[in-house]
Amino acid sequence: MECALDAQSLISISLRKIHSSRTQRGGIKLHKNLLVSYVLRNARQLYLSERYAELYRRQQQQQQQQQQPPHHQHQHLAYAAPGMPASAADFGPLQLGGGGDAEAREPAARHQLHQLHQLHQLHLQQQLHQHQHPAPRGCAAAAAGAPAGGAGALSELPGCAALQPPHGAPHRGQPLEPLQPGPVPLPPPAPSALCPRDPRASAACSAPSAPPGAAPQAAAAASPPASPAPASSPGFYRGAYPTPSDFGVHCSSQTTVLDLDTHVVTTVENGYLHQDCCASAHCPCCGQGAPGPGLASAAGCKRKYYPGQEEDDDDDEDAGDLGAEPPGGAPFAPCKRARFEDFCPDSSPDASNISNLISIFGSGFSGLVSRQPDSSEQPPPLNGQLCAKQALASLGAWTRAIVAF
Amino acid sequence: MKEGKGAGGGNDIQWCFSQVKGAVDDDVAEADIISTVEFNHSGELLATGDKGGRVVIFQQEQENKIQSHSRGEYNVYSTFQSHEPEFDYLKSLEIEEKINKIRWLPQKNAAQFLLSTNDKTIKLWKISERDKRPEGYNLKEEDGRYRDPTTVTTLRVPVFRPMDLMVEASPRRIFANAHTYHINSISINSDYETYLSADDLRINLWHLEITDRSFNIVDIKPANMEELTEVITAAEFHPNSCNTFVYSSSKGTIRLCDMRASALCDRHSKLFEEPEDPSNRSFFSEIISSISDVKFSHSGRYMMTRDYLSVKIWDLNMENRPVETYQVHEYLRSKLCSLYENDCIFDKFECCWNGSDSVVMTGSYNNFFRMFDRNTKRDITLEASRENNKPRTVLKPRKVCASGKRKKDEISVDSLDFNKKILHTAWHPKENIIAVATTNNLYIFQDKVN
Repeated sequence: MECALDAQSLISISLRKIHSSRTQRGGIKLHKNLLVSYVLRNARQLYLSERYAELYRRQQQQQQQQQQPPHHQHQHLAYAAPGMPASAADFGPLQLGGGGDAEAREPAARHQLHQLHQLHQLHLQQQLHQHQHPAPRGCAAAAAGAPAGGAGALSELPGCAALQPPHGAPHRGQPLEPLQPGPVPLPPPAPSALCPRDPRASAACSAPSAPPGAAPQAAAAASPPASPAPASSPGFYRGAYPTPSDFGVHCSSQTTVLDLDTHVVTTVENGYLHQDCCASAHCPCCGQGAPGPGLASAAGCKRKYYPGQEEDDDDDEDAGDLGAEPPGGAPFAPCKRARFEDFCPDSSPDASNISNLISIFGSGFSGLVSRQPDSSEQPPPLNGQLCAKQALASLGAWTRAIVAF
Repeated sequence: MKEGKGAGGGNDIQWCFSQVKGAVDDDVAEADIISTVEFNHSGELLATGDKGGRVVIFQQEQENKIQSHSRGEYNVYSTFQSHEPEFDYLKSLEIEEKINKIRWLPQKNAAQFLLSTNDKTIKLWKISERDKRPEGYNLKEEDGRYRDPTTVTTLRVPVFRPMDLMVEASPRRIFANAHTYHINSISINSDYETYLSADDLRINLWHLEITDRSFNIVDIKPANMEELTEVITAAEFHPNSCNTFVYSSSKGTIRLCDMRASALCDRHSKLFEEPEDPSNRSFFSEIISSISDVKFSHSGRYMMTRDYLSVKIWDLNMENRPVETYQVHEYLRSKLCSLYENDCIFDKFECCWNGSDSVVMTGSYNNFFRMFDRNTKRDITLEASRENNKPRTVLKPRKVCASGKRKKDEISVDSLDFNKKILHTAWHPKENIIAVATTNNLYIFQDKVN
């Protein structure tokens, strides 16, 4: 199907939609935002593949002009965009411009390619490490891998070859490589509303060695999605590892809510039994060891993350129960009461995770799903339109925004 | 229509305009937008819900035996405010009062019961008639004021006297606080004691008598919300098997679950999924494959799903592909980009079966709606418009010209009005009477009775 819009416009439209959903009555529509993020992912894939193709072409031209063979064959980045020849395009950051001349000639291109490649590296390293797949399911930084079970043609481009991680699979504690800091198009995120996305918190979470100030505030530039799991949202993991105070209740199969208005008490009984829960190795209250990775796979344990059981909450009588869910219950919601900054869960989402897109836009969408961006914060976050426009205004900024995916 | 005639095919019968309900002016008040339409089990009552949280129930007049050229008309029977806008203080969220679904309970006594739901709360309403009034109290005046007992000199026995029919709706149960996400479906079990409610990520099982407790039977919320890839879009109980239900997802899959298998039905018994056609891949593939509605056939053998461009009939015994696929408006496939821009691509169309499961119906744009006859494989496009206003006017079939030369009477794709959409339709359980909701009007069509 031909689309009248190019990838950039689609991305900008999608961002606008996501942003405007903040102010819609009735709260964030999880379903619609999920679908919009799929479009974002698809458009991003196409855009990046086009960028890669273009930069590759420039790279090739440089090399031909220089008539120098590439020195470094560190990484073999095989990438093929639709329409490109299937033969692998080898280049790595160190291959760009063997000499100073080339550098002088195409600094911008090289710079961008470097960024893109760095991002790609991080993505794939992450993916390789976590999924132990020899071949990325998707190409490049473009949402490596399709969402579970939904591989589409865009994410299975011919010619994508296995990528050799240059330095072996990094472990998760590897500090985030901050991308080239530059003029930050986005204002810093609000600490309270954005605690899950605060790069400082996330950096502390994922890489204790990373200097806290390393990542500039704008999540777009600073938190490459390559480290999606730790970087983005400790708040989302509040369910992953129940705090000690939860042990007493985590195996409970009920969730009780007190409606403060009507004083109606409702109990939702979860559909699993205590023995199912404790049979799982991930059951901390049974003392069977620390919760390990792949939490999502333990269906029985999933129950213990039912709202209300995770939070040692405020003194709300209703245990902040269903209210403990992110506002609107959307995946993009920063958790205003994130508490689990102390741990860094091992489980890592696919690089193509939907909310990575949003978390990357960080401050541009601060409180994206929060209906009440604290006015006490720093300057009001840019709305999606401004963010996209600014991002699109200059190629460099655009690359950074996209790279931040 | 009597059993013998059979609920005929979309093309074999001629559909006639019968009635239209709602405001005439083009300026549509948002609160008047119809959000759900449902016949009750006998077809005598027709309920609509709107964005303003109101429920309007129409009742069919008893058939006039003498004038048998038309069936009874539907007239307003009861109107009540079902849901009010609320504010969730904990999450700083406004909760819309829009009625997402109405489901009737089968009638057990003189009163009628229905479930109505908005995004967060389900309510059981009792609709009862009152046509008698007690009169002749000793201690109360007729207007209700109390009499001074010392003024009473004689005693009388109060009696019931007839009065004008009054239809009262009263909320009997309120099922609240069990859904974090937006409720999209409710479905009453064939045991008539329990029902399910589904939101984006969870499905709860309720007992109609118990409001302070529900049982979670499906939970697809990932431990890490960033891993979220699909949501639940619709759910329904099997019409005959009280242990079976299905739920559809935004990824175009349907899962059938058996509640006997385990307390938590996270593992499906059957998974219905059709592999995607790679040649149709586009930016919007995920959106248009999202299922907006799922309905079991009356027989329980089949189920129908609606995605953005098509209607699919699935045999419950075959999981790998549907047995029938009907294109609703394939000409929109090349317009997905603009439909994405104007948000129409997110419209959730519903679908319905006729009483004998031989014809299925669904809505489209430009106030068009489509019917597909499963036996003859013929389909028809009709329009809900006030232009065909006279009762018993036969509706003229419509045709959309996808491309090329436009024939006379055809409408080109570009002149379709995408603001006029028919999302909600309902078919009388026994007769060829259909209710079609445009934005703020309800149209009732019947087949031509000779």
